[in-house]
Amino acid sequence: MKIVVTVKLVPDPNAEKKINAQTKRLVRSGVETVLNPYDEYALEAALQLKERAGGDSRVTVFSMSPEPLRETLRKALAMGADDAVLLSDSGLEGSDVWATAYAIAAALRKLEFDILLVGGLTDDSSTGAVPGALAEHLGLPCVTNARKIDVTDSGLQVERETDLGYQTVHAPLPALLTTALTFGEPRYASLKGIMGAKKKTIATTALGELALELPVGTAGSKTELRSFAPPPPRGKGRTVEAADGTTGAQAIFEFLEEKKLV
Amino acid sequence: MKNVLVFAEHRQGKTRKVTFELASEARRIADALGGKACAVVLGSGAAQLAEELRSYPLDTIYVNDDAAVDRYLLDPVVDYLEAAAKAAGPSLVLIPNTLSGRDVAGRLIVRLGAGIVADVVEVSVEDGAVLCVSPKLGGVLVTHCALRPAEYGIATVRPSAFAAARGGAGATLVALEPQQKTYPAAIEHDVEEGATEMALEEAPVVIAGGRGLGGPEPFDALLKPLAAALGGAVGASRAAADAGWVPYNLQIGQTGKTVTPKLYIAVGISGAIQHKVGMRASGTIVAINKDAAAPIAEFSDLLVVGDAFRIVPELTKLIEKAKGNHS
Ligand SMILES: Cc1cc2nc3c(=O)[nH]c(=O)nc-3n(C[C@H](O)[C@H](O)[C@H](O)COP(=O)(O)OP(=O)(O)OC[C@H]3O[C@@H](n4cnc5c(N)ncnc54)[C@H](O)[C@@H]3O)c2cc1C
Ligand SMILES: Nc1ncnc2c1ncn2[C@@H]1O[C@H](COP(=O)(O)O)[C@@H](O)[C@H]1O
Repeated sequence: MKIVVTVKLVPDPNAEKKINAQTKRLVRSGVETVLNPYDEYALEAALQLKERAGGDSRVTVFSMSPEPLRETLRKALAMGADDAVLLSDSGLEGSDVWATAYAIAAALRKLEFDILLVGGLTDDSSTGAVPGALAEHLGLPCVTNARKIDVTDSGLQVERETDLGYQTVHAPLPALLTTALTFGEPRYASLKGIMGAKKKTIATTALGELALELPVGTAGSKTELRSFAPPPPRGKGRTVEAADGTTGAQAIFEFLEEKKLV
Repeated sequence: MKNVLVFAEHRQGKTRKVTFELASEARRIADALGGKACAVVLGSGAAQLAEELRSYPLDTIYVNDDAAVDRYLLDPVVDYLEAAAKAAGPSLVLIPNTLSGRDVAGRLIVRLGAGIVADVVEVSVEDGAVLCVSPKLGGVLVTHCALRPAEYGIATVRPSAFAAARGGAGATLVALEPQQKTYPAAIEHDVEEGATEMALEEAPVVIAGGRGLGGPEPFDALLKPLAAALGGAVGASRAAADAGWVPYNLQIGQTGKTVTPKLYIAVGISGAIQHKVGMRASGTIVAINKDAAAPIAEFSDLLVVGDAFRIVPELTKLIEKAKGNHS
């Protein structure tokens, strides 16, 4: 079985984030770049599927990122992915969701896969629109939020989380899936994995190879960031030390009365 | 983009409050654009929901109650939405920023060649351009993003960002032509878990529990009575859902639900960034935590440092007593 996992490289979610006032882009310097956490979970799911399927199953990670971030993909290879493909081109700078999905879809058409695993959401832009857009472009069934994936003779049997509970869904292969965070914590790279990753390939693709019909990058984007500001400060609230249940409860009750919430 | 089209989300015929919020907001935006405010209602129960929606200020409601919508995963929804958008003409499509709303929106940007702004909390029109306000980077920044002039644009809108206001003369109902009959991704079972009377996103008060509660029992014994006394719903952190103490659909945060109740009480929750993004826009935030240095101290209006097991039952009693005095 061939599995492709899309991975966005994002600033460390736990680092403080700043925007350059002039370029209106995220300041990347001084902030470590990591695999988007959701994509790490998707990769974990992919590695588990590969282990279950056995044989000559392969996991390829794909990322559209600036070239200098290339080595960050090694982490995915160290975790167990077999190879990586990087779509990198200065012409992609400033791409919004539409342009990003359009370019990624074109690059994915050149790869062979039975399952395309996409993260549910990116930590930095968090639109969650890329998976659906990729499914449309590639004409694939789109099963999101999968928490259990079984490959059967007739395709995929998936249990997926919904707003209200869960659904079981059947879909033919090839298909696009996004994963819930229920496949367990993403594995650590072992020392052997880290050593092995050095020998694995990260192939690079540029825009010229994709023969796109429509523009991408800033020119091809359909949205435009006009301005941004930090949200109005919440102000640090009060802290009350409660020696026992009664004092604690009383403090909250009085606060709620003051705020007219009871 | 001249008109506005609302995707009227509902669950098995149960209307979602956000649909009415979007219907009301659609009117305001459409007036600013000089166009029509429309909605599209799909699946079983569509006719009834369309009737309900007619008490909101819409011009046209597109309806189709095709059962395929309930049998297949979103494919028919996307087909009908595309058809409705084309029937409505160049428009801004408003979609609730919910799990399924996001999926629909992602697919529709390709069908309509549309730009998208996600998690929108404010919309304005300037010189005919649609400007959307949305928090980004986990709420670190609030962005103003323009949908460039084009036939179609999409905004996924945060539930509770807008007020629902009835009014209007009763929209015209338009039946959408049936679409294709079968699709690849078939739903075999649709199971409701941990069903609550009040949808978490719609609750005016949310009492959320975390790892500090130590197990599933306190959710029933401690949080439910407090939620009942305050007229709210129970939610949870991911740690609590991961531990299997509550179903995942109660999870609040980046990978769960975004809530904006007027009162949020976090019980035994540390306030990790991924949790914070799902609740930081709440009106008033109260935290009960043993640890005065927990991150939640930074964004709660009141932090009570103490043991939840002792505080919560007493608090519930105080509130019940106060309510008794009033009635
Ligand atoms: C990709 C990704 C997505 C995520 N998405 C989400 C998400 O959507 N939602 C979410 O919530 N998390 C999410 N997380 C997890 C998040 O990072 C935290 O791990 C999680 O929120 C912690 O949950 P918690 O606060 O309940 O537990 P903890 O961090 O363990 O905090 C428990 C708190 O309870 C307090 N406590 C203990 N006993 C008591 C007592 N008796 N009385 C009072 N207080 C007590 C402790 O002092 C502590 O502060 C995500 C993580 C990742 C990597
Ligand atoms: N530049 C990118 N390169 C690779 N994958 C991406 C990229 N952008 C988005 N994705 C994938 O799409 C998912 C959802 O992204 P988004 O819709 O931006 O929240 C991510 O979790 C990734 O798996």
